[in-house]
Amino acid sequence: MFSALQPLAQILLFPAGLFLVINGIVIEWIDRKLVARLQNRIGPRWFQPLADLVKLLAKEEILPAAANPWLFIGLPMIALAGCLTAALYVPIMGLQPAYSFSGDLIVTLYLLSLLTLSKGIAGWNTTNRFSLVGATRGFTQLFAYEAPFLLALLGPAIAARSWQIDTIIQRNAGSWIILTQPIGFLVALIGLMGKLELPPFDAPEAETEIVAGAMTEYSGRGLALFNIAKSVEFVVGLTLVAALYLGGVNNPLEYLLKTLFILVILISLQTLLTRLRIDQTVGLWWRFGTILVLIQWMVLIVWKASAL
Amino acid sequence: MNTLTSLEQAEKILAPWTKEAARPEPNRLDIIISGDDVFACTAALKQESWGYLSAITGLDLGPDAGALEALYHFCQGAAITTLRARLPRQGGSLPTLYPLYPVSSFFERELSEMFGITVINTPDSNRLFLPDDWPVGVFPMLKEFDPKVEQPRMETSSQTFPSQDGQKFYVPIGPQHPALKEPGHFEFTVDGEVITEARMRLGYVHRGIEKAVEGQNWVQNLYLLERVCGICSHTHATAYVMGVERLAGVEAPLRAQAIREVIAGLERIHSHLLWLGVSAHEAGFDTLFMYSWRDRETVMDILEALSGNRVNYSANIIGGVKFDIYPEQAATIRTGLEYLEERIRHYLDIVTSDTLFLQRTRGVGQINREEATHLGLLGPTARASGVLRDVRVEAPYGPYTRYPVSIVTSEAGDLEARFIVRLKELFVTINAIRTILDNLPESEMSVRVPRRIPAGETISRVEAPRGEAFYFIKSNGSDKPERIKIRTPSLCNWTAVLSKAPGSQLADAPLLIAGMDPCFSCNDRMITVKRLEHS
Amino acid sequence: MQKNQFPIFEKLKTWARVNSPWAIHFNSGSCNGCDIEILATLTPRYDLERFGVKLQGSPRHADILICTGPVTRQARERLIRTYEQMPEPRFVVAVGSCALSAGVFQNCYNVVGSIDEVIPVDAFIPGCPPRPEAIIDGLVKLLQSLQTAPGTENQDQVSVEKSLSRPASSLMRIE
Repeated sequence: MFSALQPLAQILLFPAGLFLVINGIVIEWIDRKLVARLQNRIGPRWFQPLADLVKLLAKEEILPAAANPWLFIGLPMIALAGCLTAALYVPIMGLQPAYSFSGDLIVTLYLLSLLTLSKGIAGWNTTNRFSLVGATRGFTQLFAYEAPFLLALLGPAIAARSWQIDTIIQRNAGSWIILTQPIGFLVALIGLMGKLELPPFDAPEAETEIVAGAMTEYSGRGLALFNIAKSVEFVVGLTLVAALYLGGVNNPLEYLLKTLFILVILISLQTLLTRLRIDQTVGLWWRFGTILVLIQWMVLIVWKASAL
Repeated sequence: MNTLTSLEQAEKILAPWTKEAARPEPNRLDIIISGDDVFACTAALKQESWGYLSAITGLDLGPDAGALEALYHFCQGAAITTLRARLPRQGGSLPTLYPLYPVSSFFERELSEMFGITVINTPDSNRLFLPDDWPVGVFPMLKEFDPKVEQPRMETSSQTFPSQDGQKFYVPIGPQHPALKEPGHFEFTVDGEVITEARMRLGYVHRGIEKAVEGQNWVQNLYLLERVCGICSHTHATAYVMGVERLAGVEAPLRAQAIREVIAGLERIHSHLLWLGVSAHEAGFDTLFMYSWRDRETVMDILEALSGNRVNYSANIIGGVKFDIYPEQAATIRTGLEYLEERIRHYLDIVTSDTLFLQRTRGVGQINREEATHLGLLGPTARASGVLRDVRVEAPYGPYTRYPVSIVTSEAGDLEARFIVRLKELFVTINAIRTILDNLPESEMSVRVPRRIPAGETISRVEAPRGEAFYFIKSNGSDKPERIKIRTPSLCNWTAVLSKAPGSQLADAPLLIAGMDPCFSCNDRMITVKRLEHS
Repeated sequence: MQKNQFPIFEKLKTWARVNSPWAIHFNSGSCNGCDIEILATLTPRYDLERFGVKLQGSPRHADILICTGPVTRQARERLIRTYEQMPEPRFVVAVGSCALSAGVFQNCYNVVGSIDEVIPVDAFIPGCPPRPEAIIDGLVKLLQSLQTAPGTENQDQVSVEKSLSRPASSLMRIE
């Protein structure tokens, strides 16, 4: 009986589910507060993202007449579900991942991509001009950063000779891959920014060009779910990069410190850089991102081969 | 060449078509011609490179005179040549000047919809400022039109522009859009991310000010005209009071004029810093937005300390200024200016060296000098393309004869150049303010001006932060103006966006719009709609 | 969906709405003075984000419509459309003398009038233009009034066609 409840608890409470949502809210607050501080402002109060969430859930949801209602309502749920599921394979809070199987690194990455995919389809579905442009940009960006990001995360996998997140962490325990694969870390970091559509890669949601991108027609619950999904993806992404590159996370304290470290770097980059046009984003990724990560792989392969 | 020589040259050029010539003011030449000769005269002036078309004014001479008059104003330096053509009150027509001056398309549209004058072969005869639901055949600027009567609403389609070929995908920007702080409507037809066509509908801020001023007295109009635009309110007020003072035959005291220039300089600082922040925000660089607006608060504090209000400082009265600058205030201004100078230097550094920002601005929206002159651009947008157009330098007015400023230009003509020009202008402005504060003349604050302004016509040109603002003021000797025509710089600068948008990326559109520092409320006292075909 | 039976939920919803007022700005013919003061409230000296106000681009994301300017004939329909696109509960704040009474533009032929002749307004902030502090004060007063009066509507899922016959919100003019 208990064993049947355990998966349920894992999905709904910890590590996925409620805990992750709260974690996402905290990360969002740190993000907004730090950005505000860097911009010489005071910034939001500590409960702000929570208030935003509750308010959105309590708001009227307007269903555009031309949109397919199943897709309209279902896509935010799929996005959130994808991100929450991805959390089951990463060491949230420094504890062992809830589930682990060979190849789960790839599965996690694809689950994380569900958010971008859902947003894109949602944008197309709502038939608003701005959401269409936003959706197109989202997909374009997906094609751009996905490959380098994946390759960058596979760097530690090669070092550990495994595609299973838990195994990678255990085999690389103690050694900070960031030191042996610094370029890979850089690409992974920037890739995370692209995945989360953080500035300077927020062309899909460029407010001053296309209003709100794919999210333009969403309101109320749908918007809330997409927002939570984004926060959750943030948490999972941070955990993944921290666990793979910063020598694993063995206990909650280490987890918090390492994820915060990466978070601060991301926020600083966010504040200091101008938004890139979509063609510049793609150009940057396909030129620098891919080349850098390929160089990293060359080095890795050669080093590995010579070590044998 | 000096003004007198300029006018003599113009008179000579226009001799074949002149019915009558007059010199109403030392720097003005009025030539009465027949409406059909307008094109020939303009072509002759353009051939000799005499000045540029600055504005076209429509005048209703009244039901008794039974005629309308169209005035074409050409400016070279301080000299203004006006071609005057009389037309019947109904059914009058004029040839278009579009092949010579593309900007005349806007002016001609205004003329047609306000006065009912037909302009033959003008490329676009859609409504410029009047709303879509305005009844056909009702011309607001005719004397018999009563602004208090509410005009019936006509049926209009919900689409601003007629429906296009279904294959094309267009992205509307405005009237409600985060990129626009004022309502205006742009439609960009896009192919992927590349803009293939750009269309614009203005008139959302058209209030009907030019008609309203005819029903209020000179003093009331001061307060109305200050609010043509909140950002350059002092410029409008200055242009107005200078013109009225000239008609009344008085000159504002020296101290008042000096204070006018100080306030104008402070306004330029606040306007350019505002523009810097808004452009940065459009580019997605919010940090620069926050910092530049934080620093802008310094100049807002100064303006508030001087006048009591942060915006709409209302410094001018007809005959002088309302408040003085005391030595303590002067000291505050100096401290503030020092701080601002350092910060502006920092921003200049950022816009010229920040790699990602440069990726968004360098090479974008490039307009070279010939194109800029041909399109009739004004203000920093033109100066960034190397056009030497600045009313304070070419035709110094009031205090600028005693406290001159130098002109700042750039040759690059792209967005980056527009940033550089505007920021460098601020250094010049700051130095000018310092000079004035060091040399404030002693005099009264204002002179008395009669309630009824003597009859006459005058033209006032001032340099607003966005370019040349043109005021044509006509008095009939009473306490209410007969006609005030306002041509604001933003109206002439729209061509910079519309000609550069096709071929650019969609993401550049907000920056292109912001790059010319648009002020919809300035140009919407009239409505303008422009269409641009891209082959 | 029927109204919630549990007062705790109502309290939670009210708390969330008061503390997370997302705003959208629309200029319906203003000279721009009020708009730059509204923008100034987002900047470091005044920082509206302290109150949870985020400026949104899409009307569908916003709770408060901050409106300036006398309504011109051309802008009138767009104003109504923007207002209708906002989901419930929504509030309108009219900023500036022109928004309250057409200000200096009362005799202009293209001006319809004040904003509350076109859409129901919940808070009026006078001034020409009002200082950013005044705008913040007006917004805070509006939020405070939300706390005391449970004037929020049912949240039903409705399609986009909504008539304008909805009565003005029960939270009225803030002095």
